[in-house]
Amino acid sequence: MFLEVKGLTKRFGGLLAVNQLDLTVNKGEIAGLIGPNGAGKTTTFNLITSVLQPTKGRVIFNGEDITYEKSHAIARKGIARTFQLNPLFGDFDVLQNVSTAFYISDTSNLFDMYFNTNKHRRNQKMIMEKSHEIIKMLGLEQVKNVLARNLPHGHQKMLGIARALAAEPQLLLLDEPIAGMNPDEVEAILKAINKIHEQGITVLVIEHNMMMMDICNRVIVMNFGQKIAEGTPQEIRDNEEVQSAYLGGV
Amino acid sequence: MKRMSAEHQNSINKSKEKIAKPVLLAVLIAFFALFPLFVRSPYYLHILSLTFIYTVAAVSLRTITISGQFPLAHGAFMGIGAYLSALMAKFWGWLPLLCIPLSALATAVIGMLVGFLFSRLRSLHYAVGSLFFGIGVIYIIYAFPCTGGYTGMMGIPRLFQTADKMTYYYFFLVLALISIVALYRFEFSHIGTILKAIAQSHLVASSVGINEAWYRILVNGVGCFFVGLIGAGYAHYNMAMSPTAFNFMATLWLCMYVLIGGINSFAGPIIGTFFLFLLPEFVRDLQEYSPYFSALLLLIVIFFMPRGLVSLPALLKSYFLKRGEGERISNVSGS
Amino acid sequence: MGLLFNTVINSLILSSMYILAALGFAFLFNMLRIFNLAHGAIYMIGGYIGYYFIVELGMNHWLALLLTTLLVAAFGMFLERFLFRRLKGDFNLNIMACVFVAVILQTTVNIIVGDKTMAIPSFAEGVFRTALFSVSYERLVTFAAGLFLLGAIIWFVNKTRIGLQMQAIAQHRDGAILQGIDINRVSAVAFALGCALAAIAGIFLGAYLRLSPYMGDLMLTKVVIIFMLAGAGSITGILITGLILGTLSSVLPVFISGAASDAVIIAIVIIILLIRPQGFFGYQVEM
Repeated sequence: MFLEVKGLTKRFGGLLAVNQLDLTVNKGEIAGLIGPNGAGKTTTFNLITSVLQPTKGRVIFNGEDITYEKSHAIARKGIARTFQLNPLFGDFDVLQNVSTAFYISDTSNLFDMYFNTNKHRRNQKMIMEKSHEIIKMLGLEQVKNVLARNLPHGHQKMLGIARALAAEPQLLLLDEPIAGMNPDEVEAILKAINKIHEQGITVLVIEHNMMMMDICNRVIVMNFGQKIAEGTPQEIRDNEEVQSAYLGGV
Repeated sequence: MKRMSAEHQNSINKSKEKIAKPVLLAVLIAFFALFPLFVRSPYYLHILSLTFIYTVAAVSLRTITISGQFPLAHGAFMGIGAYLSALMAKFWGWLPLLCIPLSALATAVIGMLVGFLFSRLRSLHYAVGSLFFGIGVIYIIYAFPCTGGYTGMMGIPRLFQTADKMTYYYFFLVLALISIVALYRFEFSHIGTILKAIAQSHLVASSVGINEAWYRILVNGVGCFFVGLIGAGYAHYNMAMSPTAFNFMATLWLCMYVLIGGINSFAGPIIGTFFLFLLPEFVRDLQEYSPYFSALLLLIVIFFMPRGLVSLPALLKSYFLKRGEGERISNVSGS
Repeated sequence: MGLLFNTVINSLILSSMYILAALGFAFLFNMLRIFNLAHGAIYMIGGYIGYYFIVELGMNHWLALLLTTLLVAAFGMFLERFLFRRLKGDFNLNIMACVFVAVILQTTVNIIVGDKTMAIPSFAEGVFRTALFSVSYERLVTFAAGLFLLGAIIWFVNKTRIGLQMQAIAQHRDGAILQGIDINRVSAVAFALGCALAAIAGIFLGAYLRLSPYMGDLMLTKVVIIFMLAGAGSITGILITGLILGTLSSVLPVFISGAASDAVIIAIVIIILLIRPQGFFGYQVEM
């Protein structure tokens, strides 16, 4: 089991945002987490990455309990994510947005830095190469020197993914990567997700847009904080409970 | 076509800047290095030494702010450095030159402890928390008899055997240069980049694996090290001091140096300190009125240079460019 | 018994004046996000103007109180109109503007009166005696006035149209503007009120304690403590934390002397801030 969520519960005052959620993600798949607005999908991500602390339940990654680890430690263990809103370092350009994540794995210390030792220069060069690779893969080369906050929406979302990739994750959590995009941009993102998947990175993607399901191997449906269905995209499409959650339930 | 030429112009301007900046810096450093050879007045040497001291304090304060936290205890940390060094030298009889780095290290450790304590506070809560800490430090200084309490501490051992102002002037010039270069390298290193990332969004920063609490603590340590260093130097230079030199008003003035110069630029606090320190010297005859001049400068910056004095060249440039363009247009229409 | 009673009334007087000043500070922060570092200076200038009216011009105390309040309120409106409104809510610029005001006021007082401390003559002479305790009329009058003013402010905020508009802006600025509330007018009132409250506290404490050019710094500290412990956005919280701080700062010196008692208070405050950054009744401020 790669990522395993057991009985996860989060209570905000009187509201159960996530209720006894069990969820598994297998290594090497693209899993989808769908559900109507307010179903608790983003809260689930926040619980997995420790932005919020769960009321109850456990999160296990690679056989290790990470429920109460700090966010940055979880990122270092191999879970990176994007955010729905506020996804970037707005005052950095695209290249810096990506390379910042690499700096934490930079082994040069203050001494290396002050005296610009060979080791430091080598590390710098490596970071730049790796950053360029990611930027190239996601098609952001043309805008690499543009400030992130001046980018168009589609590019910002793409940059969010690039930045998450720079943390060198095994599991990538994407929070509504195609919300509010035009068809061309959607296609670019879907292609990017496929490329990331080909590199052996597992992807868990939130989308309440049903279009996303086509590229998923497996889809989990949430409503009112609970899992209501799980299966292949086709099964989910035919599931009556899911249909009523989307159409009749709201 | 037009865009091409603009880009070309830009690259020329950039290469011009690349030469202009080091030249300007070299001229400034040479000016301050040669200054005592021409101006022997101990008074001016004293004023400039103080300016160097407060420049380091302001620059180190700004270094902490690049991580998105705004500490209001920096004056108090200067006081911690000053009092620790003075106490060590006075009561244990250690050499001042040894006490200064030691108390700088101690100040850094205290700064990191405070940073650790306050690491869960953000924005205004952090600022006010540190403000309370600063006030607390002053009360603690008052409460211990060995610090001299309200009357202040006197008889602090002198840094060098001599009372010659020129020696101290060079000491502080060199110390300030070293500190400023070190802080500059720190800010434009990968650690500085990580700190700036944390300032923009601590959520995103931790999502890519940045331990934001640790980096915020670290920058507190670095900022406090340099302010402690310069505070200790100040103690052995002045040989007497009272807690009022490090109270909240002192911290606030450090903040003003940073804000007047421009908080978004490394040169900001340096320019700000020099302006606020040297401006009143031109009206020295009106000594008790001199705060009015500082206040006036504040007002001018607030209304006309909201990004600080560093933005003045750019503002002037755009003003004259606009005027130039206007003239050109009127010429065209005239012909 | 007498000592106990006097400590109690002493702490109540201090509390009511702290609360008045802190309310003025809180109005400005909750509505306009201005961390008014000049609040202490305005409190001080209120005390000195009152002194001028009462001692130099020989006015009646209550008339002087009224005139000073109006004058300082007008000054507050002037500041809002010609200084703070132009800064459009930029936090750093607001802080600089506050320091500007504080420096101007403090320097002016320093030049005119210098370092010497003076006191406003007390509002009432004589001592009120009963079988159990005796208390000076001055204390009773100050206490009654503080209580009356607090009641008036609470009435103003909760019952008048403009008071309710102030609350609306404090809760949701954009929403309030969309509702058609004239933010400039309400800001002007908030400034006038905030400064007036500081000035009133300045006069009463100037009579009760003493006047000095540095009294504002101390007051500013107390006000910020009360405000932070209560939490941003809370008015009730200020009443309670003001009472707590007033009590602490008049009771603790009985047990611990001098600066150490102040250090203890600050330490308590820091600990509370670490446990509850949003204060007892407020919300966390993100800027």
